[in-house]
This record gives sequence, structure tokens and C-alpha cells, in this order.
Amino acid sequence: MIEVSNLYHSYNKDGKFAVKDVSFEVKEGEIFGFLGPSGAGKSTTQNILTGLLQLQQGNVIVAGYDVKAISNKMFNKIGMSFEQSNVYSKMSAKENLDFYRKLFDVKTREPEELLELVGLGDKANVRAGEFSKGMKHRLTFARSMINNPLLWFLDEPTTGLDPAIASEIKDIIKAENKKGVTVFLTTHNMYIADDLCDRVAFIVDAEIKLIDSPKNLKLQYGDKLVEIEYIKDGETLKETLSTIQEDDLKHLQDIIGKYEVQTMHTKEATLEEIFIKVTGRGLA
Amino acid sequence: MKLWHSFIKELKLSSRGFYFYIELVMAIILLVVVLLVIPAEFVSKDTEYLYFDLPEEMINEYRKDILEEDLDGKAEFIKIKSGKDLFPVEFYETDKKKYYFVEDETAAIQLAETERPLVSAVMSLDDASSIHYKYYLQGYESERLKNLYLVIHNRDLNLLKEEMDNQVVRSLSTGYSELTDRENVLPVLLTFNGSLMGLFIIAAYIFLDKQEGIIKAYAVTASSVWQYLMSKVGIILVTSTLASFIIVIPVMGLQPNYPLMLLLLITSGFFASSLGLVVASFYKNMMQAFSAVYLLMIVMILPNIAYFISSWEPIWIKVIPTYPLIQGFKETILVNGDTSYTLMVSLGFLVVGLLLFLIANKRYKKTLAV
Repeated sequence: MIEVSNLYHSYNKDGKFAVKDVSFEVKEGEIFGFLGPSGAGKSTTQNILTGLLQLQQGNVIVAGYDVKAISNKMFNKIGMSFEQSNVYSKMSAKENLDFYRKLFDVKTREPEELLELVGLGDKANVRAGEFSKGMKHRLTFARSMINNPLLWFLDEPTTGLDPAIASEIKDIIKAENKKGVTVFLTTHNMYIADDLCDRVAFIVDAEIKLIDSPKNLKLQYGDKLVEIEYIKDGETLKETLSTIQEDDLKHLQDIIGKYEVQTMHTKEATLEEIFIKVTGRGLA
Repeated sequence: MKLWHSFIKELKLSSRGFYFYIELVMAIILLVVVLLVIPAEFVSKDTEYLYFDLPEEMINEYRKDILEEDLDGKAEFIKIKSGKDLFPVEFYETDKKKYYFVEDETAAIQLAETERPLVSAVMSLDDASSIHYKYYLQGYESERLKNLYLVIHNRDLNLLKEEMDNQVVRSLSTGYSELTDRENVLPVLLTFNGSLMGLFIIAAYIFLDKQEGIIKAYAVTASSVWQYLMSKVGIILVTSTLASFIIVIPVMGLQPNYPLMLLLLITSGFFASSLGLVVASFYKNMMQAFSAVYLLMIVMILPNIAYFISSWEPIWIKVIPTYPLIQGFKETILVNGDTSYTLMVSLGFLVVGLLLFLIANKRYKKTLAV
């Protein structure tokens, strides 16, 4: 669905690249996470893919269209939810969606249905200017689905939302993906990436450092540890032991054999910990 | 259809905003000013400060001549303040002029400087006992006027009249009509409130959209950037046409050639709003763009001066687009206005407007994410 090879972009064309030699592919039906800290090159890459920035160097194919000679028809196939809400504040939620649906050449979804889906069903006739930040964000998110996109670009889709609404948004993304929609997710939130993505790319300082599935990354980079809590001489003790090192393994067997084990579970490394380990950088 | 939907959306948005009404309210205010403040004909009396360095008998002859035309048939003795000085003068007022007889040449010179009258002159007798005239001018008078002063006092006026009568005058057009002073103001109002307001207002619309990030959202739809820009131009054309007709119809009634006026309003409005789009594409907000927009407006206003002061019309001013625009509007309100001139001006604005629009379209495609 997306093919990017040797992508470079410099805002001032001065040799300082916001994106440098970036190559990756996103398969049809996949949720692909593009992860990195602020200023890493996520938005630049996404803006080039969606035609908001002109392609300077490299090859980019999006939904079957070459971005070098971008065609309006491409936008019938893609949807884009922006990090910063950008809706007409002087129009109601329904008027916003009604207007945007007329700008596509394909069958569009009913505004009322979408507003219901994002929890704004009772606010259809309220002007967007009166919405809270989170409500505007949900309206922007709903608008990105108006043309039934086959490829869906989501830029920080849960930013500024309370946990319950964020969870609903994640469910919507999962449901759309189940219908076959390919998702390109740009975020610095590792939890949402971990929860949603089939594969993730780590981008730092304009370059992609790694691309793999969260599961593989955890297997490859996560420490294999067991956290055990047991009672010894009437006292509760807690230890974290490696499942690879022989000494730790022997000690673990001793504990299980001699003492009363209260809790024991494997400890999995988080995506954020792996990101820091691989790139040497935090996500802030 | 997408252009139409965008236009309707813009109409909704602008009718709920501030700028849409500014232009209409301005038009109503201007109409009130035109109807109630500007007289149909300006009546202004020329002022002359005169010092007679002549024998009393000769001065009395002048007094006698002027008194015959004086409104109340008598002189008034008053004082005129000029800077810190008070000058005693004899004052006479006729239908067309105001005469001030001053007491010495110093007063004539100072009043020429401070009051800037049409004439400040000293009359004296030369060695041959002929009257000698000395004029204190303002410095901007044309050579033709200076030559006229020289001629009228050095040639026999009867001879001049005879020469003028013998000149063959052929009228190039006999069907021309004149505008009243009130009507004469309309071409300028149409140019600035009608056409050029678009330059400023479209920039304001663009910056509002930039602030809300709307351009980006529009750019990822299957609609083109040019349709987005053209829908904004369309709103400018609607409001400027409405504002123009609010002013023109009550003042001129059915006299103007309205279809021709509409054509010029549309083409010049298209030019001005395209120019506004190009300017706005270089800036992030109105504050940054303000100096450029302001400078453009100042340049565009200059032909206005030439329109009202016909003696000041340098060649370079004819290059400024508002120069032909004012004249074009004038032709639409005259009874037998020059239609072909207005059509040519309209064509010019359409062509330049199209070029500017193409440049704007290219710039906005490049700068959407910036």
C-alpha cells in the first residue's frame, strides 16, 4: 500500500535533512507504526506521503499512485487525521462533515453515523468553535473516515483524549483495520503503538533505525526475566531472576522447591524500553 | 461541483464572520457620506491677497470695480491671523472670489506662504508709470499658468481674444456629458471599496484558514487547491459587487451601464484578490503581511490624487493599475461613456489576474504544510 525508498527532504535545501535515506514498505491491511520523538522526521515523512510537502528526492508510491506526480484521485483512497484539530469553527459538526464529503468522488459515509461513532452524536448541530479540544480532535478523526479510506493516516490519534475516549478510538481503529483498512500510525506514544501495530519503525534524527513487529522486538531486545515473590522464615521476599543465566535458573529452582511461592510472572520489556535501548534516545 | 460546494461553504462561513459585514457597512457609511456630506457641486471661492503700491486714486478705482460685484456692497475691515502676526485687511466678497487688500508687501508674502491662496500679488508703478505686477506663487504651478500670467499683462487682451476667436476648434465628440462633483467621487469609491478591498480581505480569509489549519485539511481531499482559492475569490467578488451597487444605485439611478460596471468589478476584483493571494502566500499571519499589504494599498491610492488634481499627472502613475481602473469606472457611469476603453481595461485585469492566480495556485501547492 505504501512503498518508500531512499527518501530525503531538506526544508532549506542546505544539506540539513529532516528525513534522510528513509525506506520502508507498508503492506495492505497492516497497521504500521511510525515512532519517534518530536523532530525526528515523522511528520515530514507523513506530509510527503500525503502530498502536503513536495517530494524532493526518493521514490514514494501511495495507494498505487506515484507521489512525484500526485493525482487528486489518490485522495479518494486515503484519509488523514491530523494531530492538531483543523475543523471549521464557525460550522457545526454536521456541516463540517457534510462539506468534506462533497469533496470526494467516491461513496462517503453518513455524517450522523460517524459522529455517533466518535461520541459526538448529540453535538451534531453545535458549532465546532464551542467544542473542547478533545471534541474537536474527535471531529477531525471522524472526518478522516468520511470517504471510506483504504489507507488511513493517523497522526497522534489519541492525543488530548481522556483514557475512556482514547480506548474507544483505539477500538474504532482496530475495527476499521479488521475491515481491511491499512493504517499508517504516527505517534510517540509507545503504549498505543504496542497495542495496535503489526509492525513499527523507529525513526530518530531523520533516519529509520529499525523496523519490526513489537513481538519480535520484545523477543529480540527484551530481557527474559521472572519476578518471584515467596515466603522464607516467615518473611515475604521478592526477587527478579534471569531465565537465561544458569545461576539464576538454579536459584529459581531452589526457591520453587524449598519455599512457598506467592506470585511468579515473566517480566516483558516495554516498547519504550526497547526504543531507548536501540536508539539511545528517549521519546520526550 | 466541488467549486460550487466550496463557494457555498465560504458564503456560509463569511456570513458568520466579521469581514463580510465590514465591506457592506463601509458601503452604507460611504453612501451616507456621498449623499449627505458631499454636495452635488463644490462651490469654492478663489482667494486673492493684493497689495496696491499705487496712488490712492488708482486704488479707489479698483475698490470701485470690486464693490460693484461685492455681495453687500461695502468693504469690511478685519484682521487675519498668520502665525503669530495679525494683519489688518480690507475684505471684499463677490459671487466667485474673496479679495483681501493688505497694507504692505511683507503681508502679501507671508499670507502667500501661510494661507496658500490662488493669488498673492503686488501691484506697483514702474519707471514708465505702467502698472507692474508681481506674483508670489506656491511653487507647484505649471509653466502654462506662469506663461498665462506673463501674457495677460504684456499683451493687448483684445488681441488675445481675437486670436482665440480665430482659432478653429473641432469637437472630437459632441455627445459627451459631465458628472456632478458628487458623481465624480464614485469611480474612486468603486475602485477602493469595490475592487481593492478584496486585496486586504482575501488575505485576512487566508490567514484565518492558516490559523485553523483548514488549508491542510482541504489539501488531502480529492478537490484541487485552485478550487479552494477560487471559492474565496468568488466570495470577494460577491461582496465587492454588493458593496459597489449599494453606493452606486442610490446616487446614479439607472444612468450607469451596469453590465459593463459589473464586468469591470468582476475582473478588477479578480485581479485584486489574486494579488492578495500571492502576497498572503509569503507570510504566516496578518501581522507579518500587514506592511506589504499596506504598502501596496498606498501605491494603489496614488492615482486617486491624479484623478482629483488634473495638473499632477506624471507618466509613471499611469502604470499603477488603479489609474485605468478609476477611468474605466468613470466611463461606466457617464451617459455616453467609452465602452471600448472599459472593455480593454477589463481584459487587462482579467489577463493579469489570471497570471497572478496561477502563481498563487503554484505557491499554495508548495507551502501547504508550512
